[in-house]
Amino acid sequence: MIEFKNLVKKFGERTVLKGLSFQISEGEILFILGTSGTGKSVLLKNLVGLMKPDEGEIWIDGAEVQNYTENQYLEIRKKCGMVFQHPALFDSLTVFENVAFGLRKHYRLPEEAIQQKVQKALGLVQLSGVENKLPTQLSYGMQKRVSLARTVALEPKILLFDEPTTGLDPVTTNAVNQLILSLSRSLKTTSIVVSHDMQCALSIADRIIVLDQGKIVDQGTPAELRKSTIPLVKDFLSEVLELEAANG
Amino acid sequence: MIGVLGSHLMSGGHHIKEFMGMLSHTLTSIFRPPIRIKETFQQLFFVANGSLVIVVFCVCFAAMVTILESSFHMKIVIQNDSMVPGFAAMLILRELGSVVTALLLTSRVGAGMSAEVGLMKITEQVDALKMLGIDPVQYLVVPRLFACIIGATILTIVADITCIYSAFVISEAYLGFTPALFLTAMRRFVDFQDLIFSMIKGAAFGSVIPLISCYYGFRCKPGAEGVGSATTNSVVASSVAIIVIDFILSYIFSHFY
Repeated sequence: MIEFKNLVKKFGERTVLKGLSFQISEGEILFILGTSGTGKSVLLKNLVGLMKPDEGEIWIDGAEVQNYTENQYLEIRKKCGMVFQHPALFDSLTVFENVAFGLRKHYRLPEEAIQQKVQKALGLVQLSGVENKLPTQLSYGMQKRVSLARTVALEPKILLFDEPTTGLDPVTTNAVNQLILSLSRSLKTTSIVVSHDMQCALSIADRIIVLDQGKIVDQGTPAELRKSTIPLVKDFLSEVLELEAANG
Repeated sequence: MIGVLGSHLMSGGHHIKEFMGMLSHTLTSIFRPPIRIKETFQQLFFVANGSLVIVVFCVCFAAMVTILESSFHMKIVIQNDSMVPGFAAMLILRELGSVVTALLLTSRVGAGMSAEVGLMKITEQVDALKMLGIDPVQYLVVPRLFACIIGATILTIVADITCIYSAFVISEAYLGFTPALFLTAMRRFVDFQDLIFSMIKGAAFGSVIPLISCYYGFRCKPGAEGVGSATTNSVVASSVAIIVIDFILSYIFSHFY
């Protein structure tokens, strides 16, 4: 289980996270929605120690982690896989080497097993056959899918997605959402998804949190969010409701 | 005025503290496995082989200017330029070869490193390394540090030899020195230890370039402006550091002459 208690993060004079508190249960798919600059990505980076909070506590599986050293965070990061906003692929390595990178670091597997895991991960994101290409030879959408494959290949217990479907076509967006859903259900993976996409959130999330100005303005199941009276939530919902109305 | 000065001093102090943190992290990472030999050789090839032509070309002209100017001024002041080869060789070995090479490496290699690491930082590749259990300093800085120390030392020797050869050619063609006269005059002023000191300077400058460049790369702010700013700052800071280190080393070496 993951828990944030009164989390505060400041950048100079600007307070991005203003005392956030919430929990995430094992196997849950949590969507964090909000407009740009509300601290959604900052929240994820605080969880895995890429940023340090100024105040508050972060608990992962019963351990308070916010004061961990870089070495202590290695174990936490082994548990967590993160798909970044950018594809964040290593330009000098091929697609295969990118996906195998973490496997070679974390597990002493024979080369054959690594190849199988890489093929499986690339298959999950529908990208078989590009193993020998460099990231610069792929489209942005394909790069994001390789990034997803690199994370999924490690089979982490907790998956963190920072706008995983931004820049993807609708077909791939749907495939990525289904992947998040299937990983969470079949492997009991806990997923935290930072997104702007209310439609995706409503279709696959167990729970949705809406952030504004560094604070939680609403949270609940998709069904509960649909009934929200908060203006920002209604703004997020309006496009989805219009689409649903148009489709009858 | 005092407020602005105070804020600059605080910012400078903060930079120095953070840089020292990265330096100590780099030094502790040097002997920690895995040592990335392949990456180190790739970087060495980029630093030494990639910079060879530009270094040789530039130091040739620097040496020619040095010997012609020395001759011109000596003739005016003491009506005699017999000591020119000696002075020129001394200046080349003690200063010109290592400093010009280091400044060229700063603009060619340092700027490239800063932009590369900066781009990795803003496209979250550095964060991805951390998430995959890799220490970015060990992965990025250490191979570049080794490569630059070795590369700058080799290039300094090449630059010294090239400079002296250029000076020799010019002094024979334009100033009327015979080879024997040039070598005799040169031998009176310079010693083998000058070449050793030149190599030490080259290695010291070579260590500064990747450290400062990667430091600014890791602090890079998002956007094209951020990368541009990181690159500019790294070139300026490296150049200043090279000149300051040159003064310190020259002062130390002066006790051995």
